[in-house]
Amino acid sequence: MISAVCGLIIGLVLGAFCPLIIPVAYSKLFSVALLACLDSVFGGYRSVLEDKFDNTIFISGFFTNALLAAFLVYVGDHLSIDLYYVALLTFGFRIFQNLAIIRRYFLKKH
Amino acid sequence: MNRFKKGHISVAVVCAVLGFMISLQFRISMEQKASLPYQRLEELSSRLLDVERERDKLQEKLSALEEAAEKGEANSLSDQKASEILRQRAGLVAMEGPGVIVLIDDSRLKSKAGDNQNLYIIHDDDLLRVVNELRAAGAEVISINGQRIIATSEIRCAGPTLSVNNVRSAPPYEIHAIGDAATLENALKMRGGVMETLAVWGIQLEIQASENVEVPAYKGTTQYQYAKPAGGGAS
Repeated sequence: MISAVCGLIIGLVLGAFCPLIIPVAYSKLFSVALLACLDSVFGGYRSVLEDKFDNTIFISGFFTNALLAAFLVYVGDHLSIDLYYVALLTFGFRIFQNLAIIRRYFLKKH
Repeated sequence: MNRFKKGHISVAVVCAVLGFMISLQFRISMEQKASLPYQRLEELSSRLLDVERERDKLQEKLSALEEAAEKGEANSLSDQKASEILRQRAGLVAMEGPGVIVLIDDSRLKSKAGDNQNLYIIHDDDLLRVVNELRAAGAEVISINGQRIIATSEIRCAGPTLSVNNVRSAPPYEIHAIGDAATLENALKMRGGVMETLAVWGIQLEIQASENVEVPAYKGTTQYQYAKPAGGGAS
């Protein structure tokens, strides 16, 4: 838990001071990838609470979800199928679901 | 224990990646929001400055004119000035000033089989479009290959050459125009404008902005053979 928070803070600081800029054309892909990452992390936290956490599944899920989401949106853009909104909806839905489950665990504990 | 530690490190790395992405996205969206209104603000303030400067100039002019009117000696001086302005307007005086020089030459592309060869050479309407565009962009005086464009100037094809003021010249054509160089250049380079249309056929159009463009005076006759002033109030 502590290492996760430390990593998050390090990443935030790095991102804030890194001169990298995502071109406008790719900002859509980037935001979908970010959402997929968020979903994976919430899912990982939920599995920690459920005592089912598996490192390999978590890390592979984190990266493949993000890359796949960005790739699908990219392909959808070229086929003029707007998968962007589908990805937003799906990941958003899953994040809220995971949050609800996490909340329930906390309520049960106390 | 070792496995546990390894897991910790990888979780930290993943969280670092997540944090990196979050703050990057945050920064980018902040920048996007900030840039547009800021640009608009700058544009408006520079426009305000321009208008204020113009107002000051006009006020000075007004006070000078009022002074001259009070003294009552404006008449003879303004007559001379008026005739000079008329001569300039009629194109009888060589002019110079900032502007652009536009070079136009026939296409270097080879016409494809079955294509109309005429599309690849310059016509009068191409030049008319360029001149028209320059005038629309506020060009004050214009010449083509040294021929000053005046009120009666024609631009028309004469065989393979082009006739301006009844003087024929062959490509390449050199158009001199005096005016705001940036505006003139942008008017020709406008998207979907003259330069883009001509470029489709490979016609070469080169624009040089210059601080000192020279436009010669009209050298032809200015006598009217047929037209007479209509009687009455004309003086």
